[in-house]
This record gives sequence, structure tokens and C-alpha cells, in this order.
Amino acid sequence: MTGTAAIRGAPVLLGAGCVAWAAAPLVNSGWAGFALFLAILGVAAGTLRLVLAGVPTPEESYLLSAPVRFWLKFLDILRLVPWEEGALVAILWLEVLHPAPPWHTAVLGAALIGYLLATHLAESGASPEALRPQARVLAIGAGLLALGAGAGMLPAVGPGAGSALLRLVAAGALIAAAGLVLPYVAAPAPPTPPGSPGSPGSPASGRGTPGGR
Amino acid sequence: MSSSITPNERLLRVPGPELALHWRSSRHARRLLTLSVAGVFIALLARRPEFAGVAAPALLLLAAGRAQRRPARISVRVRPSATRAFEGELVALDVRAEGHGDSHVWWTLHPGPDIDPGDVTAAEGPQARFTFTPERWGRRQIGTMDVVLRDRWRLAEGHLTVTLPKLDCYPAPADQRTTVVLRRLPNRLGEHPARTSGEGIEFFGVREYVPGDRQRSINWPASTRRGRLQVNTFAAERSQDVVLLADATSDVGVPGSSALDLALRGAAAAARAYLEGRDRVGVITYQWGGVSWLGPGLGRRQLYRIIDSMLASPVLANTGGYARGASFRRLPRAALPPGALVVVFSPLLDQRFVETLRDMRERGFTLLVVDVLNAEPPTRWRREDRLAKRIWRMEQEAIRFSLRELGVPVVHWDGVQSLDLPLAAHTRRPLAARR
Repeated sequence: MTGTAAIRGAPVLLGAGCVAWAAAPLVNSGWAGFALFLAILGVAAGTLRLVLAGVPTPEESYLLSAPVRFWLKFLDILRLVPWEEGALVAILWLEVLHPAPPWHTAVLGAALIGYLLATHLAESGASPEALRPQARVLAIGAGLLALGAGAGMLPAVGPGAGSALLRLVAAGALIAAAGLVLPYVAAPAPPTPPGSPGSPGSPASGRGTPGGR
Repeated sequence: MSSSITPNERLLRVPGPELALHWRSSRHARRLLTLSVAGVFIALLARRPEFAGVAAPALLLLAAGRAQRRPARISVRVRPSATRAFEGELVALDVRAEGHGDSHVWWTLHPGPDIDPGDVTAAEGPQARFTFTPERWGRRQIGTMDVVLRDRWRLAEGHLTVTLPKLDCYPAPADQRTTVVLRRLPNRLGEHPARTSGEGIEFFGVREYVPGDRQRSINWPASTRRGRLQVNTFAAERSQDVVLLADATSDVGVPGSSALDLALRGAAAAARAYLEGRDRVGVITYQWGGVSWLGPGLGRRQLYRIIDSMLASPVLANTGGYARGASFRRLPRAALPPGALVVVFSPLLDQRFVETLRDMRERGFTLLVVDVLNAEPPTRWRREDRLAKRIWRMEQEAIRFSLRELGVPVVHWDGVQSLDLPLAAHTRRPLAARR
């Protein structure tokens, strides 16, 4: 499998995996069927949007036949609706409906982040190298994800809502602390020396995309 | 991207105008925000801290992305390789951005009407080159260029739209190699053999030697037969005045091959062919009784003047309304010299224009009409409609017949084949100006 095909295929696999992970075993309460439908629709439509991203639309839409107008409308809807966001909410909803252990949710969270990053790479045409500057932040995020799962697995101090709220506050404080550390971890890139690729004075480095976006 | 045209580096080095960017969240950032908000919301609602952990990586990415530097303004330079081009000619467009910092620049070309952008409409990098082809004559807006700056983490996008300059698109001249030559040519040096003896290269006849004749022109076989010295004479070479008359009154047919398209392409072809034959060529553009004109002239530059003159006329320049130029009946001799060959490109749909042609013929001008009508009125499959269409066809035939009866040749050109084919009958021998 080539690199491009892998980047294009990763969102499909990760999206399908997230849906399956959150949906199994299927429950019949809290509109689970509808959430599953939304999740599948979101992932499928998001994939279709990525596949059809290179299809150009004519600038002039006069005197077009009915099938062509229908096709253009379909492309418009496909490109305007935030399918991935819908899929995310539906998948989290499915996860809530299950009495899943915290580690199960943490795995889902990691897969969802992977799904979003893969979708981003596929739609921007960037290589996985583009994620290198975010590696440290993602590592801290993974740590927080694990801490969140750990907090979920801790036995409650006592019965009642207060104990659960306490654990939530602890998780929130962790995230806030990580946010305070961030400016030192994710420092902006040093200024690019003149003449290097990407700098204002560098020679042409255009990269074409057939058929527009 | 095509790179057959050399980049316009010198012009791109000049800094362009500074333009403000409109920054907003990217799709990636919106998706991360959705995940983090949904995670925190569920964590609070369901009292499950593991969902806060799900939201944490997305929140961290968003928070870190806020720390990225984003320029408020950038300098954008846009340079087309030409400001004038013929239909179907490849034109390059160089774009360059400065002051974008470490953000990635993405260019998207949105072509204007009748501009074919080719295969590539998007490019990445601080400097890029697009190629496009104007498809139809006229003053064309190349289009707009969307400039999108993305920060290193692709969480924010700065948008900017640049209106691209206009391009003067000339009609692509049709193929024409031969020319129609008048029988009576004015006494001016040129390249057409005249019916009088002179200093040309085409054999004209034999006459008796007189002192002063060149020795090299003696025809020895004829001298031997007649017993006296005979010399060869050669035809004089003259030029003619040609006035192209383009009828811009009616524009019927499919855009791209309409009557007006064909008239302009035919006129451009004729101008080029006659100017290559060292003739003086001028143009008159007729619109609803008014005209704009350019007096006959010589040289390659005259071809561009002629096309400019045709495109600058009010109707063709899309300024709307009727022409406010000179009246056809009051044209000066500079616009329509006596004895000029008048080549008319018209669909012959305007009765007043046909009357004008008859009037010119009666005043002694030698006319040649190239009929550029390639469309018929649309009709439904009804008896009355078909009858109306037949009557319309008969009227058109009658108009052409009446012109031929006056001694005005009318040839039909479909815009696809070479103009030499319909003109073949008139290019083989000089065209007589019957009175």
C-alpha cells in the first residue's frame, strides 16, 4: 500500500473501528440505534467527502441538466455538513450508553484523536511529518487520557454524587495544569533562515493539486 | 503545473500591496473543539472522569495552537505573463506572498467566465505559477485568487481573496493564405502583379528593344525569329487598399461559434493575410447604423490596431447601448478610400446593413461578402413554425440573390474550414469592379 493510499484509508479504518468499539455490544436503550445510524452515516459521509474532494465544480451553473444539478447539490451538501463532528458526538453517545470500564473509554478516546488527525492529514494532503511538532503535546494528552481512565477506575470514597464530582474536579485540575505547562512544551518554531524552502525569498515551491479542491 | 513559460522573476521581486487576512478556525480545530466540548459535557453529566480524559488531548492541542504566531497582513504580488492574448493562447499567472512567517500558503484559482484554468487550480507554497487559456475574445476578468494561510498546526486559517487583473483577449485569426486582388490597382508599389508593365518579376510580354533597355532583358529566341532585338517586359507590382467591414449588429448562434465570433475571427484572418501581402488594410465596425473605423495602414502593428479597434467598439466592449460613433453615410475618405476592396463579414440579418451594402455597390465600391450565418431560428414541430422557417430561409436566399445580382459575390464560411476554400473562386483571378 502506498503512503497516499494509507493516508486516505486510515480515516475509514479508524472511523469504522471507533464505531464498532463504541457500539459493541449493541444495547436497546437511549436511542442507541439512532446514535449508531448517525455514527455510521457521519463516518461514511466523511469518507465520501474525502474521496470526492478532488472533483471540481463548474463556476457557471446555468443550463445544466437535472442529473448534473442533482450531483452538484449532492457535492455541496457533502462538503458543507460537518459529518465528522456528528460522528464524534454519536460515538461518544454510544459509549455513554454502555456500562463500559474506564480503560475502554480511554482506548476509544485515543482512537478518536487518531481518527481526527488521520482525517486532517487526508483532507489537507499533508504527510504524517506535519504532526511532528505536535508530538510532545499529544504525548501529554495521552498521559492525561490515561490519568482520566485511572481516575475513573479509582474506587469511590463514599456513596453519592459528591464523590464522583470530586474525581471530576481532580481530572479538570490535571487538564488545567497541563494547559499551564503547554507554552513551555509547544514553543513556536524558530524563524526560518532566508533561502530555505518555505521562506519568503525562496524560489518556487508550488505543488499542484489536479482538479482543484 | 505547466512551466513552459519562463517565470516573471523581475516583476515578482517588486513588493506587492499589503492585504489584511481574516483568520478563523480550521475544520480540524472545529472537530477538536467538538470532541473536547462533548467529552467535558458528558463527563459532567454522567459523572465519569474518563470522558474528561477523552477531551484532554483535543483541549491541549487547541490551547497549544493558540500560541502560534499569525500575521495580520501579508504582501501579495500577482503578475500575468501577458495583458493581451489570442483565444486559446496559454497565459501564465505568477503569484507570490511575502510576510507570511512560518505559515503555509495555499492558493486557489477561481477562473472568470470564458477562462479555462487547465488541470491545476490549486497550489501550495509562497510562490506559485498557474496557467490558463482565455476561450473567447473580449476584455476578460481572469478571476479571483483565494489565498489561505495555515498555521503550523493547521488549527487556524487566514483567508484573503485577490481580484485578478483583466486580460484583453483577441479573436483567434482563422486560417487564410490567399488574398482577393482587384483588377484595377492604385498606382502604388506593392506585391500584386498589375495589368501594366513595370519593374516586377512576373512575365508580361515582349516588345521591340529601344535604347536604354537592359541587355539582360533581351529575349534572344524572339529576336532571332523576328530579326530585330526584342526585350521581355514584366508586370508592375502594386498594392491595394482593403477595408474590412465587420457587422456587429447581430450575434446569433452558439457562443464561441456565433456569427459575431466568426466575423471577428474572419476579419482578423483577412487583416493578417492582406497585411502580409503589403496591402493597406483598414476596418469599419458596423453596429445599428453607427460605425467605428480605423483608416487603412501598413505593417504588423496595424493588425493589432485593427483588432483593438473592433474590440473597442461600444457593442463589442460590452458597454451596452447603441453606437454613438460616426454614421456610415458620412464616413471620410480616410476610412473608405475610393477604389478600395471591401471585404464584408456579416450574417446579413439586418436589413439596414444590407441596404448599406447595396448603396456602397452603387457608389462603385468592389465588395465581397463573407456570410457568417451558421444558425437558424429555433422552431417547434408545428406546421406554422415550419412554414415560418421556410419563409425565413427564402428571405435569406433572396437577400443573397439580390446582392449577387448587383455584382457582389457572397460566399458562406462555416468558421471551421480555412477561409481560402470559400474564397477560392475569387482568389484565382483578379476581382473585377463592375459599374
